[in-house]
Amino acid sequence: MCMDIKAITYSHDNRSTHLSDVSAYIQEGAITTIIGPNGCGKSTLLGIMSQHYRPQSGRVLLDGKELSLLKPRELAQKLAVVHQQQEAPGDTTVEKLVRFGRMPYRRLWRTDNDEDEVAVEWALHAAGIDHKRSSILAHLSGGERQRAWIAMALAQRTQLLFLDEPTTYLDLYHQLELLELVRTLNRESGLTIVMVLHDMNQAIRYSDHIIIMKEGRIVGEGTPKSVMTEEMILNTYQVKVAVKSDAQSGLYMVPVGL
Amino acid sequence: MGKKIVSFGILIALLLVTILYSAATGSIKVGLIELAQGLIWGGNESVEVVRDLRLPRLFVAMLAGAALAVSGVLLQAVMRNPLADAGVIGISSGAGLVSLLMVTIFPALYFWMPLFSFLGGALACFLVYSLSWRSGLSPLRLILVGVAVNATFTGLGQSFNYRGSYAVTSVNQAISSIFTLKTWSDVEIMALYGGIGLVLAMLMGPWCNMLVLQDKTAKSLGIPVTKARLIVSAIAVLLASVATAVGGLIAFVGLLVPHIARLFIGSDQKLLLPFSALGGAWLILAADTLGRTLLAPTEIPASIVMTVIGGPFLIIMLRRSERVHGH
Repeated sequence: MCMDIKAITYSHDNRSTHLSDVSAYIQEGAITTIIGPNGCGKSTLLGIMSQHYRPQSGRVLLDGKELSLLKPRELAQKLAVVHQQQEAPGDTTVEKLVRFGRMPYRRLWRTDNDEDEVAVEWALHAAGIDHKRSSILAHLSGGERQRAWIAMALAQRTQLLFLDEPTTYLDLYHQLELLELVRTLNRESGLTIVMVLHDMNQAIRYSDHIIIMKEGRIVGEGTPKSVMTEEMILNTYQVKVAVKSDAQSGLYMVPVGL
Repeated sequence: MGKKIVSFGILIALLLVTILYSAATGSIKVGLIELAQGLIWGGNESVEVVRDLRLPRLFVAMLAGAALAVSGVLLQAVMRNPLADAGVIGISSGAGLVSLLMVTIFPALYFWMPLFSFLGGALACFLVYSLSWRSGLSPLRLILVGVAVNATFTGLGQSFNYRGSYAVTSVNQAISSIFTLKTWSDVEIMALYGGIGLVLAMLMGPWCNMLVLQDKTAKSLGIPVTKARLIVSAIAVLLASVATAVGGLIAFVGLLVPHIARLFIGSDQKLLLPFSALGGAWLILAADTLGRTLLAPTEIPASIVMTVIGGPFLIIMLRRSERVHGH
């Protein structure tokens, strides 16, 4: 399932422009990462791509179909989003949360069928949270809670998975654990993934395709190797970096000054 | 799950016992067997008095309590705010004011009072939403705006009431909550509109479960958030307005009952809605029964009993709010 973003212009308040003339293509089966400085419009673009915001002009096509013509329920069967800082009532158990992921397939008050059960079991397992299924969310660690929310998104059984800064507030171990999970979901379950990240080295390591944004525009797009250059980072972040590569680390960058 | 079934069982038993006690107790005392016989075969004068005066009162009290409690659950879900309650944010006083005005100006339209009440409640709800909406609902702003709207409508209602002695007698029951002098026609109005509201509310459980998550989460799960919010709010306003139109202004029910219910039943709205309906019915019936038996023959209105119980309870609740689930 691919997504075509065409000439999007968007403003939250009709005064300042938050996205101007943004076009991009999300390739099926790839991990695409959007990076850029704070306030560059990364999360806004993700919001446009998931129909949370309606652009003032431009179109988003999902497999050639206009996104805005899909019913909310239809869209939720094709595209799942893990947002930043999601909340649920404190006594919600992991399993119950994951069952919410079946809402797009449910009519009011119908009970779960076999397909729902299979999807919930798979989601719990794929997110590596099935051992905590009866725990309540309030008792989980940050990493486990994030995986519970990912499991909820997986239970929607979509081909597209969006993650908005999924590693924020996690320590280094859990950041890597989460990104490994994302990679596994992509490689083994064939999910097309779009995420917003802050850490450039993580973006390099875990992405097939990187979109770099600055002030509401896309300033660079391509494979990690082709876009993550010293010049690009200086222009985008106003930070001098040294881009290195060695056998053990692959491509990586180190900030060297302002 | 076992705890939840036991909680339901105990609450239903409590409600039944209170109904029986309330039906048998008061200025005219009748035994339960005598009451049953009189209701079935007739011919017992004191049972007929009970049937015409006390039983309607019982039903109105229970339906009003259920309606207010469920309206509280719905508003708390839709506004994602544990303090949302029809009484606190002005829906009840809006409903009271508009029905008061209409009934005073057009006394012939008494039967349509629930409709005017609904319009008043909807007006208040709309005001609270639109005045506190600023790219999202801030819980604090919503409550502050609600308190202001409530004060305005209450003030208008009271000034109208002081306007002249002519209005006071005919209109008093619209704004104070005395369940005396309720007839079976009040029960009919209450059961019809309140019943519709309660049935619709029970169907809203899955949506309410989604609305207590954030909008962004609910949207991503394919919920038409704006539509769901509008429908759930409308049902909440209907329930609160009907309760106000027939039973008068009663504060705290929509706040207390859902909060206590959550302690027993958790935050799953599919269970919370019916449990709160039963709890609200029991609470108001108990408050009304207490009010008319405690200092008999003097009556304390249920609304006053509720305020006396509700105030301290709210303080206790806030003190231990760490342990109460926020929404």
